[in-house]
Amino acid sequence: MERLERRLGLLSALPIGILLLLSFVMPLLLVAGFAVMPQKVFELAHLPDFSSFAVIWEQGYYKSLLRSLGLAFLTTVILFLVSWPLAYGMAKVFGRFTLVITILVVLILFVSENIRLFGWSLSLMKGGLLEGYLRAWFGFSFETPLYDWPVIVFGMCYVYFPFMLFPLAQGISLVPDDARLAASDLGASPARILFEIEMPLAAPGIMVGCLLTFVLSAGAVAEAKLLGGRSVIVLTDDVESAFTFGQNWPLGSALSLTLIVIVALLALVPISRIDLDAIMGRKR
Amino acid sequence: MINRRQFTLGAAGLAGLSAMSLPRMARAGRADRLNILCWEGYNSDQVLNPFRELYPGATVRAESGTSDPEMINRLRAGEIGTWDLINVNQPWARGEMLRDNLIRPLNKDRFLPYFEKMTPEFSKPYPLAFADNGDLLGMPQRYGPFSFVVNTDKISQDMAEDQGWSLFLDPAMQGRYGLLTYDNWNVIHLCLAAGIHPFQPVEGDALQKFTDTAKQIVAGAKLMTDDLVAMNTALINGEIDCYFTGGTYTASPARYDGALFVRGITPRSGPIEGKGGASWVELTSAVNNPDPSDLAEEFLEFVQKPEIAEVVAFAEGTYNPVAQMGNPEVMARFDDEKLEAIQFDTLEEEMSRCLEFDVVPSYDELLAVYVAARRG
Repeated sequence: MERLERRLGLLSALPIGILLLLSFVMPLLLVAGFAVMPQKVFELAHLPDFSSFAVIWEQGYYKSLLRSLGLAFLTTVILFLVSWPLAYGMAKVFGRFTLVITILVVLILFVSENIRLFGWSLSLMKGGLLEGYLRAWFGFSFETPLYDWPVIVFGMCYVYFPFMLFPLAQGISLVPDDARLAASDLGASPARILFEIEMPLAAPGIMVGCLLTFVLSAGAVAEAKLLGGRSVIVLTDDVESAFTFGQNWPLGSALSLTLIVIVALLALVPISRIDLDAIMGRKR
Repeated sequence: MINRRQFTLGAAGLAGLSAMSLPRMARAGRADRLNILCWEGYNSDQVLNPFRELYPGATVRAESGTSDPEMINRLRAGEIGTWDLINVNQPWARGEMLRDNLIRPLNKDRFLPYFEKMTPEFSKPYPLAFADNGDLLGMPQRYGPFSFVVNTDKISQDMAEDQGWSLFLDPAMQGRYGLLTYDNWNVIHLCLAAGIHPFQPVEGDALQKFTDTAKQIVAGAKLMTDDLVAMNTALINGEIDCYFTGGTYTASPARYDGALFVRGITPRSGPIEGKGGASWVELTSAVNNPDPSDLAEEFLEFVQKPEIAEVVAFAEGTYNPVAQMGNPEVMARFDDEKLEAIQFDTLEEEMSRCLEFDVVPSYDELLAVYVAARRG
């Protein structure tokens, strides 16, 4: 009976399943198809060549790729360090106050990313909200932090904060209090409890948080444009240029494909090592 | 477990959704629809509502793009059957859209008389609106000189016009200017700064010169952005003293807000036939829609009316001169504040110092060099 029900379920899900698969896979296939087309063509009816990949190498596009990955890595590390204490508090300490923090963080997401970033730009610029008031009230002035790479990392940390915080809190809530108390009773130092009990047991949450943050930051463009003043050209910026002003779809596709493949490879390793069911609380 | 009622409800919803998305393709009759792909301004209700009142039965829709190539890409990507008019800057009509059959010629008998009432630049009439075989490819309306913008409290207008592009090559200006990343314009302006003719093939020594100039100007820029509001804000706050690539189009919003020290500059002299500036002219062309709308040409004629031409000039976002200002009736509608915002006092003189815009033959190579310079 259960088998029949399962089969019926599968059959009913098939049409929408195929539709979802097509809508997810088709754009990716199109990108992959264009990536192997000759330069500057606008349809797929050409013999494939790999000239776009040669261009990526010859014209130094790998520099933007490395920058994107480097900034994403830095953002992930910083966000992990910043979010851990708060996530710990949300999972173990704050009790009902956790809901308030959750609502506050989620509320920020209701405002468009570009508007929030432009707000930071107006706050941080020379004569802006911060420097302007400090100078007017205290005669204290400072150089704007805008238009350089650290402010890009700051912007990405700010925008992707919730994507690290919530999975991390979820992961930490998986750590049984008994395990921590037992370790403490047996004389383990707080550092040892952190590294040998809490972090390994919260690993699924850490992995999901780091993955989400890394993947999103690697594909981010607005932070580098609005705050960084394009002082650092990230790969997504190059993709946009290739598709628009360059009118070179194959190059843009090849750049996108390279980023997709590298990020997918980097993501597959941790995904293969975590148990998503565990973090969803469905483990039987 | 989903019960049958929920499933039916879902299926009905899905059917409803697909029904909403299909008719656009199926219902293709042609005085009932007009879809305009344009720069901001033509899509404002101030322009569209009076037209909608004239054709109450028609669905009139307009959408603004973020760059010329993005809009042309949309036609290429299959939206040629969606749009009836496309409004982009002048090099694209002759350069790419005609070549790729994305646009079709306009009725000359109907539109040539309008050129006579335009400002002198267009009344000849305007050569880039025509194909080599004489076909009329689009109607000009908004235009303006486009070179660079300075804060005249920091750098006087006279000095900026006199120095021209060498202003950005002066070591003292390092870190004091911005670079407005309108890439296709940057390529033209970098050519002019390097003393190269942008509308002739660039090779050998000239290419090397372009490369060196691109590297120097990119390296000296304090900020790069494609957002004109961010750039004007940086100029007003004293973050920068001037910005590379800009003109009436980018300076006018700040000027209309009272910041009259923000001024578009056209170099007084330059490397190409004595000219150092460049100008843009929007051409609105009829898309080569397999199922064309009769309203496309009706709309093009409608925006020639004095009251509508004024609205187009001061619609929203940016403010610009319009070719129809050659007609005294149109001109009378602009007060001093508006004329000051669009730098009308020097407009004709500035346009005379601008190169007649054309397709950049070495665009691909030059863009690659410039984008590589930005990557560092």
